[in-house]
This record gives sequence, C-alpha cells and structure tokens, in this order.
Amino acid sequence: MEGHKGGLRPPNQVIKGGFAPLTPRGADTTLSVQDLWVEYRTRRGTVKAVRGVSLDLCRGEALALIGESGSGKTTLGLSLIRLIPRSARIRAGRVIYRRDGQEYDVLSLGSEDLRQFRWKECAMVFQSALNALNPVLKVWDQVYDTASAHRQAYAHRTRQRALDLLRLVQLDPERVLRSYPHELSGGMRQRVLLAMSLLLDPQVLILDEPTTALDVLTQRAIIDVLRRLRKELEFSLILISHDLSLAAELADRVATMYAGAIVEIGDVYETFYRPRHPYTLGLLRAVPTVTGQMRDLASIPGCPPDLVNMPSGCKFHPRCPYADSRCQEEELELAQVGRGHAAACFHWQQVQYELEAREGA
Amino acid sequence: MNIFARLPGSPRDRRPLGVAFPRAVSATRGIARLINSVVSNYLFRKVLKAAFTIFFVTSLTFFIIRLMPANPVDVYIQEMIAQYGMAYDEARNQAAALLAIDLSAPMYQQYFDYLGNLLHGNLGTSYRSKGTPAASIIVKFLPWTIFSVGVSLLISFTLGVVLGMLMAYWRESPLDHVLSAFASIMSSVPNYLVAMMLVVFLGVQWKLLPITAMRGSMSPGIQPGLSLHFVGDIFFHAALPIATYVLTTIGGWMLLMKSSTISTLEEDYVTVARARGLSDRRITTAYVGRNAALPLFTQLTISVGFIVGGSVLIESIFVYQGVGLLLINSINARDYPVMQGVFLVIATAVVLANLLADLLYSRLDPRIRITGGE
Repeated sequence: MEGHKGGLRPPNQVIKGGFAPLTPRGADTTLSVQDLWVEYRTRRGTVKAVRGVSLDLCRGEALALIGESGSGKTTLGLSLIRLIPRSARIRAGRVIYRRDGQEYDVLSLGSEDLRQFRWKECAMVFQSALNALNPVLKVWDQVYDTASAHRQAYAHRTRQRALDLLRLVQLDPERVLRSYPHELSGGMRQRVLLAMSLLLDPQVLILDEPTTALDVLTQRAIIDVLRRLRKELEFSLILISHDLSLAAELADRVATMYAGAIVEIGDVYETFYRPRHPYTLGLLRAVPTVTGQMRDLASIPGCPPDLVNMPSGCKFHPRCPYADSRCQEEELELAQVGRGHAAACFHWQQVQYELEAREGA
Repeated sequence: MNIFARLPGSPRDRRPLGVAFPRAVSATRGIARLINSVVSNYLFRKVLKAAFTIFFVTSLTFFIIRLMPANPVDVYIQEMIAQYGMAYDEARNQAAALLAIDLSAPMYQQYFDYLGNLLHGNLGTSYRSKGTPAASIIVKFLPWTIFSVGVSLLISFTLGVVLGMLMAYWRESPLDHVLSAFASIMSSVPNYLVAMMLVVFLGVQWKLLPITAMRGSMSPGIQPGLSLHFVGDIFFHAALPIATYVLTTIGGWMLLMKSSTISTLEEDYVTVARARGLSDRRITTAYVGRNAALPLFTQLTISVGFIVGGSVLIESIFVYQGVGLLLINSINARDYPVMQGVFLVIATAVVLANLLADLLYSRLDPRIRITGGE
C-alpha cells in the first residue's frame, strides 16, 4: 500500500520558500486523519472511494474539501464519524481526535463511545437538509432527542440553548421549535440543522454542501451565519463543497480531492491564487464570475475516472494537458510546492510558469 | 337575483361593494359562508361520503338478496317436506301460519318500508325466530366476531410489524430468508384452507386438540363476567379462529413492514439521527418504526372491515357463534331481515374502518393534517 505516514517527505523538485509543516501555525490539531482508505463493495468490483488520505485539522481552523462529484469528499466526511453505508468498509488508516490533551482513535471507538462522539464532539450537517429531520416529530422533540441522547436531559437548559442558537441563525426560535419540519422552508430547515449541530458545542463541525439547493440569498445568509458562529463559538470546520466561492469565503485552508485522494492542499489564498495542480487550476477556470468574460471559462475535458478501474499512474493524466509518459506510470504523492502548500504533480512548476506568464501578459 | 345578472359596465356596478349590497344580502352571504365552511369541512365531507356509501350498499343488498332463487316461504316448505315428510299443502299452510310474511307487496313498497324502519333504527323482525327483532339476534352474535377478529388483528399486526422490522434490519440473513418464505406462503394460502387443515390435523388426525369441546363461542353453563375462568374459556373457544386469522394475515403485515422499513432506513433523517448520536432504540422506534408503520395503519383499519366479512367461512368451519355463522344460517333460511342486518353491519364496518383510517392517518402523520384540514 502506498501513501505516506504522518509528515511530509522531501519534495522531488526544488523547494521554494523552505520546508513548512502541512499543519500551519504549529501543532494543536483537533482531528488528524492518517492514511485513510475506504472502499465500497459493489457488483462491478471494489470502488476505492478514499485512497490514502492524510490531513490535520487545527483547533478553530476551517478546511474546505473541494472537487467534482464522486471524488470521495462525502465518503471522507462520513468516515470521520464512521457513518459510511453498509456496503462501505474502512480498509486502513487512523482518525485521531484530540480533546483536552487526550487522544482518541475514532476508528476503534466502541459503539457507545462512538455514539457519544457523534454530534457532541463532531457534528455533521448533511447535503440534503430537506429530508434530514424526522417528519413526524416537532423540531423541539428532535432537539430534545439529541440532547437527551448525550445525557444532557435538562429540558429547560436545552431549550434555552436551542432558542439562542436558532436566534443566531436568524430564525424565529419559538415558532420553529413548535413546528413540524414540513412547515419550514428548505432554507429554514438547513438553518435548523445548522443550529442543531451546534447544540452540544462540538469541537469539529463537518458541513457537506451546506448551500446546495438553496437560492443565492439564503446561501448568503447561511454563509454570514457560519462566519459569525465560527467567530463566536470557535469550532473547527470541515467544509465539503464543490462551490469554490463558498470555500474561498469560509475556509482557511483548501484541499482538492480527485479520485479519492488529496491532490493539492494549502492556504486558501495560496491555493486559489497560485494553484500548482492542474486539476485545481481546471476547477478554478471552470468557475464563472458575474463580471468576467465567458471566454475565460474552460471546463476540464473528459469525465471523472471510474473508481473501479482506475487509470494507471496519476489518476488525472487522461484529462491533464501537462501529462507525459511519466504521469501514466507513476502516481506522485503530495510534495511541498510552497509555504504550507503541497501538490501531487510532476509538472507543478510548469503550471506555475504558465500562470505567471498569463498574469504578466 | 338580478344583481348578479346585471351586465358589467352599467353605472350601478361601479358603486362600492358596501353600498351595492343591502344588509339583508350580506346576512345571507354570512349564512352562505357558514354553510360553505361546514360543507367544505374535511370531517363533514368524509362522514357524508360514508353515510352515502352505507345507504348505497344497503339498497343494493336489499334488491340483490331478493334476486336469489327461492324465497323464505319456499325454503321453509322445502325443509318441512324434506325433514318431516309433510305434504306440500300442509307445509304451505304451516309456513303461512308460522312465517306470517307478505311477500306479495310490490318491491319498491317493501324497499321504502324497510328504509323507513331503518331510519327508526328498526332492522325488522326475523322470519325464522318469530317475533325476535333482527337487531337483537345480531347483537347476540356480533360481540364474538368483534372479539375474535379484534384479538387476532391485534396479534397479527403487532407481530407482523415486529417481524417485518427484524427482517428489514437483518435482510439477506438466514432469518430473513426463512421468514420471507413463511410470509409469502402464508399470505397466499386461503384462510378457510388453513382452518380446515387445523381441524383435520390438530383435531382429527393427531388428536392434539379437543376439537369438539372447542366448538361454539363459550362452554355451556358458564357465567359471563370478568372472571379468569370465563376469560380463559372464551379464549379456549376462540383459539382456532384466532390462530387461523393470525396465520393467514401475518404474512402480509410482515412483507409490507419489511419493504416499508427498508425504504425508511434509506431516508436521510435516519442517517442524520445516527449522526446525532441517538440511541439505537430511539432511532428504531421513533424514527424508523413510526415512519415505516404509517402506511400500514391505513391497511390495518381497512382490513378490519374485510375480516368481519371474511369471517363467514372460518366461523362455520369452527362452528363459532359470530356474525359469519349467523349470516350463513340466515342465507340458508332466506331470512331477509337478518341477512340485511348482517350486510349492513359489514358495510358499516368497512366504511367506518375507512373513515377511521383517514382520521387516524391524519393524526399520525402531521403532513396530512395541513392538506386535509383545508
């Protein structure tokens, strides 16, 4: 099995700006994923959804996972709270969670500990919030369910906290608590779920596409709410999204995923202004801007790889304009390309050169 | 009302509304609105529909049972001749004296008489048990059917729902395969066949059960009351009908619940409930179970009605004194009032069950309350 353990290997090419650890601003990681492999067994064969992912999440940091649909972002998120579907299996890897100087291996927690870990330590807001609440229970009952499942069954205190949080996400708290989910609009349900995710004051919050299926104004509201909440409550955030503008607004660091692996990771400005992996560059070029010219847009040719029969070498090579024979044979691991910035590409310097040339022009 | 018929554009039309309509008109509008709100009321409409259905079925049965070959008098005469070897004339005289019914009145007149009596709560008097109101006969038989069918529905529904959920949670396991096979076989075997097999094997061939002592709905001479003795006795007599109903209906519940649970398990809110760290017990009952069982409640209430009708064969096989047995006997004797009474009970049971299903469903599923409450 390939994949690196822990720290970075020396880069294969010239180092720019000296060696910096992948986790910026020193230690104090809340969640650290080490060489995680997740597979789905299907009739067609084994789908390798997550292939040797390693990353660290610092206290209070916001990390965005971007990439196309089917790149393994959601599976990675689900693996962190061990909520993967029945057909999936975590083949290898460790997920270390730290709180108050204690370390826990999430993947080997017992069922009761795992239950307590979920939501209280690490909450996840799912993609489809429309159907995320039980249709036959009122919102308050579901809030109380959540609290009492974590031995915080003081109805009064829970209610107070829920009211505060609902107010924070700009809902009419009393009315929402009394409502059934179907009496709320999609954006309201999304915000209810967001408020509920913070009910137990988790250290880590995973947001899976928090704004898809919402109109722009609601998206705006949710982004603002998230920023405020992060300032006030200081939790770490993993943001799973294919919406790059959302990532740019909320994240401190960005990780690009392709075919189940992280192909580039770095500081958000660094990654978006100086992408070093052709795939990240392709994603950025495919985003339209309201004021920009349509001719500047370019989509990435081809389609995401079949995760059962993956191409040899670098998984991106069939779609990559820079690919050569080496890319077809060898898959590169993440390597330092800048300060706190790593990419897994042989040709990152060529990408850099072209970008600089374009900017100069 | 020529106010409404007035052509648009005429000068009076341009008056403000308050002036255009005098007080009397606005009062009638208020009443109209009240009537309108009653008529468009969900419950009111449902009850009205139910009442109409019952009326329709009652009328239909009235005419259909009179289309059956042979009338009560003929049947009685035939019986007398066959049993006592009477001469035809003698038998006819006795029939005329005993039955004292006049079937020569025109059909429509009989029908309106019947409807008129029905409106007064009078089902007529039995032709056979002279002078006994049909209602009092039915009242004597009905509790046994309600008891046996009710108990078996309760058992089969609860057990079926639990087993169905088990099958869904452990799908593709040996348990699931065994239960699935059992459920599909049992739900496709007709209930009278199961009843006969119970009698033949348990009662006659293997002699495991005292089948003759189990006949009837209770042992002779026993005092009805809330004593353990009495309750034990009625369960002893109802055991075989109940076993038949449970065996033949449980498969349906299991399969329904299994598929319903499987689709509920895929729902996002169940995944989210897991992510919220709820206990498995809470998820299974309030999140999976309650949502999965929702569609089954409609089925449950509807099947109440049908089982009352379907008890005919079972009750006669086990000689259990319920309305099913009563119906068979009254059909054989062409006892029109009793037959009509039993059909009325069955129709009412089905219709009420449907009504109950609607009301119950809107109680159980908050999403229906909104659309239904309009």
